[in-house]
Amino acid sequence: MQTWDQRQPIYQQLADLLAAQLLDGDPPEGQAMPSVRVLAGQYLLNPLTVNRALQALNDEGLLESRRGLGLYVTAGARERLKAVERRRFLEVEWPRLRERLRRLGIGPEQLHWGDTR
Amino acid sequence: MNTAITDLLVEARALTVRYGAKRAVDDVSFTIPKGRVVGLLGHNGAGKTTLMKALVGLARPEGDLRVLGLDPRRQRVQLLASACYIPDVAILPRWARVEDLITLLSGLHPKFSAERARQLLRRTSVGLGDKVRTLSKGMVVQAHLALIAAIDARLMILDEPTLGLDVLSRKAFYEMLIDEWCDGERSVVISTHQVEEIESLLSDVLMLNEGKLVLSISLGDIDARFVALSHDAAVAEQMAAAHPLLRYRTGPGPGGNAAIFDGPPPAHVQALGQRVRPSLVDLFVALTRRPELDRTQF
Repeated sequence: MQTWDQRQPIYQQLADLLAAQLLDGDPPEGQAMPSVRVLAGQYLLNPLTVNRALQALNDEGLLESRRGLGLYVTAGARERLKAVERRRFLEVEWPRLRERLRRLGIGPEQLHWGDTR
Repeated sequence: MNTAITDLLVEARALTVRYGAKRAVDDVSFTIPKGRVVGLLGHNGAGKTTLMKALVGLARPEGDLRVLGLDPRRQRVQLLASACYIPDVAILPRWARVEDLITLLSGLHPKFSAERARQLLRRTSVGLGDKVRTLSKGMVVQAHLALIAAIDARLMILDEPTLGLDVLSRKAFYEMLIDEWCDGERSVVISTHQVEEIESLLSDVLMLNEGKLVLSISLGDIDARFVALSHDAAVAEQMAAAHPLLRYRTGPGPGGNAAIFDGPPPAHVQALGQRVRPSLVDLFVALTRRPELDRTQF
């Protein structure tokens, strides 16, 4: 069974999981999200929790509701997600990583930045 | 129609069930609205089975009890048309074929749909021609759920349905329940000891300890009411001084300590730890006591 950690509410963890999938193009922009019931069955979650997660994605402008049809991935959702991820990396992860690189004495020339592989 | 009344599938007020001098259920009040998945938690002997029996008219309670707007004792036949129940001692006749059970229920229950039962059974590996005695325990329980869920009811009551099942059978059971039963209108009450496993499925929790209702809350409200702080071993004494409900370990190492508070602790205590999600199993340990532990304590 899917396990949920204790750091955040479960709905937030599901929202993050679904956002990561959207970033990978699953489902692609303009396509329908799986229904609450499908997601509830898939992740063994209470439908109210699933609703809350979808609502959170909706609030972030990643999903839009089409009358009578359900939720669809908005055009530009991936770009928006990527921008959020990029900002999080630059503001949170990168300073930590840079600090660690400095402590380990690793400079730009050792990171093979230009390598394609 | 008055929606405020019909949206509450169960209304219990000051409900007590006595067995002789013992109060198996002791002055319990709660409501269950529609569209909920309610976990009924408690140690063995806490009163879970008795409470469930009262809901379907099999125990004689004192106090007020309305289930689907009906009195379960006096209007049991009417109630059982719209409520279904799998008791903890449920068995299906071993000699019967699954198809026979469908025929039987078609004749017995006015709201049973044979077509729906066959459709639900298609989700499982149970064949219509299979005899019950040839099925594994997990398959029997799934067949039982399929039969019960084919009743067009509004309330389902399951008394430890997954007891003794392996993890895959439990998962299949809960998948069918969520997929096929929970439609936002019907509610289900499930008792279980597998608190950790069922937490994410639940919308609400009723927690019994020695017949008393020690917690009745929606899962969403748990985060708002209870505060769990993970903290370092170095501040353990200050945490303890703030009277948490429970202190527990969350992992190895000196950082793997946590304390759970009912309501926010003072700010200087909150600053000592990091807020984490209080898990249902921690609350369960905090709010219930095994009777044998109580005896040794005094």
